[in-house]
Amino acid sequence: MDTIYYLVLVPMIYLAFFVFSVGTIIRLINIWRKPKFPTTLQIYPEKKPSWLWTLFDTFLLNSARRHNPVLWFFLMVFHFCFLLLIIGHLELIKDFRILQIIEHEIFLGKGFIGLILSISLIFFLFRRFVSPTKDLSVPEDYYLLILLFLAVIFGSEMDWARTLYGYEEMGVEDYRGYLMSLFLLKPDISFVDAPGHSFMLVLHVFFANLFLMFFPFSKIIHSFLSLPLNKLRRG
Amino acid sequence: MEEKLREELIKLFESKLSKPMQMYLETCSRCGICTPACHAYASMPQAKYTPAYRAEVVRRIFKKYFKLQGKIAPALGAAKVLDENTLDELYEAAYSCTGCRRCMVYCPFGIDTQQIMSIAKLLLIGANAEPELLTMLADVSVSKGEGIEDMKESFMQGLKRLEDQVLEKWKMEAGEMEAGETPIPIDVEGADLLYVALAGAHSIIPAAAVFNAAGEKWTLSFFEAVNFGAFVGDPTKTKLILDRIVNEANRLKVKEVCICECGTAFRVMKQMSGSQPFEVSSITDVHAKYIREGKIKLDKSKLNLPVTYHDPCQIARNGGVIDAPRYVLQQLGADYRELSADPKYNWCCGGGGGLVAMGDETHDFRMKSAKVKADQVQQTEAKILATACENCHAQLSDISKHYNMDVEVKYLSSMVADALIQ
Ligand code: SF4
Ligand code: SF4
Repeated sequence: MDTIYYLVLVPMIYLAFFVFSVGTIIRLINIWRKPKFPTTLQIYPEKKPSWLWTLFDTFLLNSARRHNPVLWFFLMVFHFCFLLLIIGHLELIKDFRILQIIEHEIFLGKGFIGLILSISLIFFLFRRFVSPTKDLSVPEDYYLLILLFLAVIFGSEMDWARTLYGYEEMGVEDYRGYLMSLFLLKPDISFVDAPGHSFMLVLHVFFANLFLMFFPFSKIIHSFLSLPLNKLRRG
Repeated sequence: MEEKLREELIKLFESKLSKPMQMYLETCSRCGICTPACHAYASMPQAKYTPAYRAEVVRRIFKKYFKLQGKIAPALGAAKVLDENTLDELYEAAYSCTGCRRCMVYCPFGIDTQQIMSIAKLLLIGANAEPELLTMLADVSVSKGEGIEDMKESFMQGLKRLEDQVLEKWKMEAGEMEAGETPIPIDVEGADLLYVALAGAHSIIPAAAVFNAAGEKWTLSFFEAVNFGAFVGDPTKTKLILDRIVNEANRLKVKEVCICECGTAFRVMKQMSGSQPFEVSSITDVHAKYIREGKIKLDKSKLNLPVTYHDPCQIARNGGVIDAPRYVLQQLGADYRELSADPKYNWCCGGGGGLVAMGDETHDFRMKSAKVKADQVQQTEAKILATACENCHAQLSDISKHYNMDVEVKYLSSMVADALIQ
């Protein structure tokens, strides 16, 4: 068991981050090396300033709001919570003063954000079982949602699992110790391998690793491409 | 399918992979938000008529030959081998899409299904599986252009026969005639405006009358505007047909090239002619300008029936000419009713992308897929349906007959010519 814990919490993490970053960079470079399109791909009527509308379309999902408000609601909730979780994870490495502009406890959300995210993921998954979205979907779409769901559910419920032991086990300081050791390339999992709910951490990390390794080969690349594509439409 | 042909087709595919195209193919999250955007799906709710499904037919081939995921784990993204079956799917996807780009307005990323379908069309050409009629029309158009020197004489004689009809709509002053001006000037070096018409008197007579009424220094192009190369998705023929007009405009040193009522011709000329010493305008824009500048006067009492206007997709949503036709209709004194509160959401007529040019072969599909268009027009209770594209005009006339609509389909330019005050 210790070996499995070690493999997931150390080499697999390094591998996942390597595949994620190198894969994503290569994919983006490949796109950027393609020739420019010779003419406009804009939609009219145009609204100025186009960059501002591009930001509006990209970050507030304007067209989704207009054409599928229920899906838009869940998409907004999902993406916002995802952003909060990224902030939460960064703060598990060290304090970032800038992230504390609005003061909050570490770890952000106390598991509720993850729960909301899971509910959105269940919604996204279920709508893929109904036509016509079902007819458009390919296996990748289901796997990605399931992977994310598993990563999120184990991650977010760790905080609740701690309450079972009176909140002493595996707190913020332990995660910081572990993540810092990974950062400094002196991996030490002794901070987080205590019996109890550490299996949840291992599962969380395992699924998150799979997700990260899948990222550069999947449609999630839209996180980088949405902005330039929306700019093309706005002209 | 033979391996050699497949390799050639993959090369053709690769030639279409520009930066935006690659992004379109990489990004779709298959969220389905675009589903209700397509008139074909809205009229016949079948998955194959959704924009994303169409695009997936191309995207699955992309995954197979251009993506690591498709090579390592093809099942994950349902990557597909390019074979005879896929060609059939490509045909159905490409020739049930009119390239209206209404779905692009719905998509949170702005994915352009028309662009993706242009890959399907090119692959079909490469496999000799495209609609023969469209290629034939494109070839005829190209060869007509090549043999223009031999045809000039007969073309000019044909124009002579139309002159009386132009004069019926707008009489020229005796002085103008004495100065050698003709009702349909052609090949005039130093003219301000080159008018590119369609083959057919309906595209020349009203336009000529309005140019003459406005005192425009204009000249008619030897070439017809329609670009069958663009319909069939052949970049080489598209460019050949486009370039000869560009060359003519440069030879005559005109300041403006005005495209007749043809959506594809306008968009191709406006967006693909590159940086040139002349402006490109649509005839509707030019008419609006004449009215605004007081160069022509219109009789506001002629239109006594309610009017609506169908925005041709390639001219409005994809070409930006939106205010001009509304202004012209207002100046015609029309009891005007909008088809769609926001013109960028106007339904496509269902005849674009070469479907009308394919004639009877597509008639059944065109009529069924235009159900939403027919409903939209009927809801306005308009008795005149104006438009500014020959393709749309033909399709709307077919729809009107098919759905027994009590509406007369008219060209906007003819309405302007008929209302000229001498
Ligand atoms: S709306 Fe855009 S991302 Fe969603 S399925 Fe349609 S094309 Fe794909
Ligand atoms: S471009 Fe128009 S016809 Fe083609 S899929 Fe999109 S909405 Fe449908």
